[in-house]
Amino acid sequence: MTSHAATVGVPARQHEPELEGVYTVKLGMWVFLLSEVMFFTALIGTYVILRFANPDHFAEPGEVLSIELTAINTFVLICSSVTMVKAFAALQQGDQKGLKLWLLATIALGSGFVGVQAYEYYHLWHDGFVPVAEIYTAEGGPLYGSTFYLMTGFHGAHVTIGVFALAFVLFKAMRGSYTPQKLGGVEVVGLYWHFVDLVWIVLFTIVYLI
Amino acid sequence: MSVTATKTDFDLLPYAGEQHEELPFIRKYIFSTDHKVIGTQFLFMSLFFLLLGGMLAMMIRWQLGFPAQPIPGGELLPDTMTPGGIVLPEFYNSLVTMHGTLMIFFAIMPLLVGVFGNLLIPLQVGAADMAFPKLNMASFWMAFPAGLLMLASFTVEGGAAAAGWTAYAPLSSSGEWTGVYLGQQLWLASLFILGFSSIAGAVNYITTIINMRAPGLTWFRIPLATWSLFITSWLILLAMPILAGALIMLLSDQTIGTTFFVPETGGEPLLWQHLFWYFGHPEVYILIVPAMGITSEVIANGARKPVFGYKSMVLAIISIAFLSWIVWGHHMFMSGMNPMLGNAFMITTMLIAVPSAIKVFNWLGTIWKGNIHFHTPFLHGAAFVSLFIVGGLSGIFMAATPVDIQIHDTYFIVAHLHYVLFGGSLFGIFAGITFWYPKFFGGIMNESLGKLHFGLTFVLYNLVFFPMHSLGVQGMMRRLYDPYQYDYLADMLPLNRFISISAFLLIVVQLIFIVNFFMSMRRSNKCGPNPWRANSLEWTLPSPPPHGNFQEMPVVYRGPYEYSVPGAEEDFLPQNEPPKDVERVPGPFEQPAD
Amino acid sequence: MSTEEHTHPPYMKIFGLLAAMMGLKVLVGLSSLPKPIAVALLITISFSSAILVAMYYMHLRFETKKLWLLAFIPFPLIAILILTVIQEW
Repeated sequence: MTSHAATVGVPARQHEPELEGVYTVKLGMWVFLLSEVMFFTALIGTYVILRFANPDHFAEPGEVLSIELTAINTFVLICSSVTMVKAFAALQQGDQKGLKLWLLATIALGSGFVGVQAYEYYHLWHDGFVPVAEIYTAEGGPLYGSTFYLMTGFHGAHVTIGVFALAFVLFKAMRGSYTPQKLGGVEVVGLYWHFVDLVWIVLFTIVYLI
Repeated sequence: MSVTATKTDFDLLPYAGEQHEELPFIRKYIFSTDHKVIGTQFLFMSLFFLLLGGMLAMMIRWQLGFPAQPIPGGELLPDTMTPGGIVLPEFYNSLVTMHGTLMIFFAIMPLLVGVFGNLLIPLQVGAADMAFPKLNMASFWMAFPAGLLMLASFTVEGGAAAAGWTAYAPLSSSGEWTGVYLGQQLWLASLFILGFSSIAGAVNYITTIINMRAPGLTWFRIPLATWSLFITSWLILLAMPILAGALIMLLSDQTIGTTFFVPETGGEPLLWQHLFWYFGHPEVYILIVPAMGITSEVIANGARKPVFGYKSMVLAIISIAFLSWIVWGHHMFMSGMNPMLGNAFMITTMLIAVPSAIKVFNWLGTIWKGNIHFHTPFLHGAAFVSLFIVGGLSGIFMAATPVDIQIHDTYFIVAHLHYVLFGGSLFGIFAGITFWYPKFFGGIMNESLGKLHFGLTFVLYNLVFFPMHSLGVQGMMRRLYDPYQYDYLADMLPLNRFISISAFLLIVVQLIFIVNFFMSMRRSNKCGPNPWRANSLEWTLPSPPPHGNFQEMPVVYRGPYEYSVPGAEEDFLPQNEPPKDVERVPGPFEQPAD
Repeated sequence: MSTEEHTHPPYMKIFGLLAAMMGLKVLVGLSSLPKPIAVALLITISFSSAILVAMYYMHLRFETKKLWLLAFIPFPLIAILILTVIQEW
């Protein structure tokens, strides 16, 4: 632990924010992610509750949704978590090139996920699976569409924001902003990214498989 | 040497002793990252909304006290609100909705959390600023436009939201019944944006308190104001996202045509109530807990005694926060929900009275045999305790489901909520403002005016709200435009008129506070760093503190309530004063100097 | 605080596990197992995957116990919300 005593009585910069063992930006991101857990709880919880209450207004996932396509997409997102972790590991070892390449890979996979999801939305919409009551023609009822687009839409929005954040981090990495001693930015964007993947793992199961 | 560094990519903030670049006006006072400036911005914004919310209440009271008569000056308002000065029924619905909304979201919440969180936390923990100053700035600059959106909703066609601050579906999901379309949508959008502001603030406060405490400031040496804001921040962090989800669903039901709360297509109106109150109950504890923390500070200071049972005070706040998640159904006893849930919520609601009661006993224990200085902050703090007791007792009645059958949605509830929100939170806010005003504005508020304001407010406040218990038990429902159309309520007009007149006097009396507030800012009225002879770290700094707060990192040696320590020279002992008799002992986090 | 310069957690092994679990989930989902069993299996597998991601990719395993406590906080709240509200129906 760095010394605090040496700073007593001496004009000092803010002391090392290490008292609880987790540096400040990382702690801030973890705390923020907890609020995101509650947000997705509201959305996914609504789906679970309404589906339990009024199953007739829904349909079996396979009837409307493409489980196979989304399974592949899920795999894509899991891969992007691996590339993210490799990016951070590269930075920890001072491998700047590896950092940039793995970040790029993560961005590509993340964008791919969003792209496939947009493609999926297009086809579902075409099949009459929409969130709007008036134009709903698929199996089940408009409530199914409402809840589906709410959950997956907000998840997709979070992935998109993550892609932008990763691009920003990549940009900074190209300017050499990160070192093994200054890796907070990469670590926290990584945490956000893994969280988004984690939510999808749960979401995919609940929406597509159950 | 650990590879994951303890430093971050962000520059560590310099303390006041270091050089600071001179900032242009706009960076110093408008888009400032200094927590003290941001706190002050929140202060002015919230006080404005407090006043506006009060004016809305006056119009409600006018209609109830002088039904269908023209309000003096009412012709100034548009005909969609008060044609000929007479309140329209539709506008009355907006009045009760917006009074609640403005007071809760734009007055009390930002006053307690945005103002005192920002002003106090970095100072009381010994930091140069918040953990994330830019995020802090963003927090205010999201709250402000949210407020503007809410104000704008008054001006659109159909008027402002009129489905109650609780916006129950399906009343709120379509304008069919309230006549309000865009106004309700703006309401939803405004609160959604405000949610971002609150969550950002919560992240900042939590991180600052965990990670940026000065050496020696262990958890059980943190002043109760900061403790209460810490716990409140957790409630905000975890509850507001639920509201956000619910708001999105309601907004999309209204605009896109989704069916979350539309029964015909499998939606469930009761789901809105569950989601709303799952947020809503922690929300009301967000509205009271910081005031409890402030009350502890001013009472200990006024009584010149340590807070009685400091540790149990902390544990009580934590218990209240924990229990607040499992009582929400008590707002729904009459909603038609599963009666078994009614039983469960009744029990949990009665349980939550216990930690609150512990706090009340501890405040009384703090005052008991104290060397009491009846300064204005102490008076407001004592009023908090007494009025919170009343509000808490009425709460016990409501907690009993069978009793609630009679009093739900009556003026008994209105009395209860105003005893805890006005008698509690607002008096706590007055205590906090009068106590910390000297620290942030450099001059102390006038004591005579302060006591006058306090006395008149306290008496008039009780004249307004105490009779409402009786009105409620006799069956006067809330949110009624014209209660006197019902025979059994017709002879409640005299009491309502009495309440209304008291209310008009009450708001006029607040002028004394406003005058005192601005008058005490004049340059000739300077005070030193510690006019109240208090112990926490903010009182060691100049009034107002400079950018960066401390000249050097403070070190803490004791808790914040060392008042009237036997054998000490003074009746207070600041947290950072080194112990005198022994050679300076290193604090828990210090290592011996090399 | 444990140093970060331990041997890296086996990222690729975890990836393999995650991929396998995902495949298993899809198989169970598409199978004709009785609904309650399928649901129980699916929930178990997906929460296990989530925990793996949190422990190893989000590094929770190597953080302080206090951070574990923090990260755990929402889960009782989620259970309370869903288990209570579902009683209505």
